Amino acid sequence: MKTSAVASDTIGPLPSTIGEEKAAALDSIRRAQSGDVDAFELLYSEHSGRIYALCLRLKAGDTSDATELMQDVFVRAWRRLSTFRGECAFASWLHRLAVNTMLENARTDNRRNARVLPMDDTSRLAGAARSSGVELKMDIENAIATLPKGARLAFVLHDVEGYQHQEIAEQLGVSVGTVKAQLHRARRLLRERLER
Amino acid sequence: MTHEVIRHLLDDYVTGELTEDARGPVADHIAACEICRAEVESLKEILARAAELPKSIDPPADAWLNIRAAIERDKSAIATEHTQLERFWRRPYVLAAAVVLVAVLSSGGTALYMNSRDHDANSARATATNQGTESTPASLAAFTIEENTYLRNVAVLQDVLDQQEASLAPETVARLKASLHTIDEAIFEARNALARDPANKMLIEMLSGTYRQKVDLLRRTTEMTRGS
Repeated sequence: MKTSAVASDTIGPLPSTIGEEKAAALDSIRRAQSGDVDAFELLYSEHSGRIYALCLRLKAGDTSDATELMQDVFVRAWRRLSTFRGECAFASWLHRLAVNTMLENARTDNRRNARVLPMDDTSRLAGAARSSGVELKMDIENAIATLPKGARLAFVLHDVEGYQHQEIAEQLGVSVGTVKAQLHRARRLLRERLER
Repeated sequence: MTHEVIRHLLDDYVTGELTEDARGPVADHIAACEICRAEVESLKEILARAAELPKSIDPPADAWLNIRAAIERDKSAIATEHTQLERFWRRPYVLAAAVVLVAVLSSGGTALYMNSRDHDANSARATATNQGTESTPASLAAFTIEENTYLRNVAVLQDVLDQQEASLAPETVARLKASLHTIDEAIFEARNALARDPANKMLIEMLSGTYRQKVDLLRRTTEMTRGS
């Protein structure tokens, strides 16, 4: 009995805090949905770091492209807020929007479709990381940035962001087999580049 | 399983996505094969390093300002669009043109209907006979309820419009009254035809459509005068 009382005292406040945070987040979403830009800024503050990290990796470490993509994602999120019904977490909804926005932009910008960042240019990611005050594992970040687009997308979404094969296949509009093949290719290339 | 086959299964082995049946033979092979063992170690290292990557990186400080500016531009563009649309509909000649258009459509539709009435009535009668007698009275009953709703809406809107009439140009009021008169005539004729031929579904549809036109015209006019 004593143990459970101690446990209860220790963890008691946590659910309440989480509950309060969730309620505050939901309140921000609702207010933003009704046109409150300040509430949307709160959502931006909470989620922009993760979305920017994702954009930076999807854009092969190009800070300018990544910033542009992230801005595009949040402007689209604002326009589509009314479609967010809370069926999934807001973070997941934003993530999906980021990947879809990147894919849509890529389709309308053929020049970038086959883009592979040369090894020399990957220092841009290091610059971005340093300016944001985050200590990155630069070697693997740079190596990821050099991957061909398809392999990079599969690796970032699966091995960094933790998406399942099926989810990635649906988002990219390819088969699970293709996702697995791209992942295999990405890991093989990374091994080669990191062992140089 | 051969070495080549197993090499293709190493990714799934490392990520734990290999089936239980395949896992045993692959593990046995790895224990005996130096190349595969090295590959597994290398894969594990890559996955561990990927997992350690920061999930969040601060974006440039001015990014939010750009997003906010884009949102404000969006809001302003939408507001301008609404204002322009409102101004467009408030112009007397646009309102007059809409009224004339409704009148032309109403009288044209009525004439077209009246010309083909005999043919349609015969077709409808034949259809009613084929379908049995239960569905048509049900439609008529449904329409009677609908008609009462139309009449109530028309009365309310007409009251509002009477109060707002002073804010409209006399020429617009005259055209509006002429249009309503044309629609009322179409309703009167269709109502009489329906009294003679209650089984005619086309008549019901026609009458219902004409009522909708009248309600729509009144509603749009009251909305426009309210906004002016």
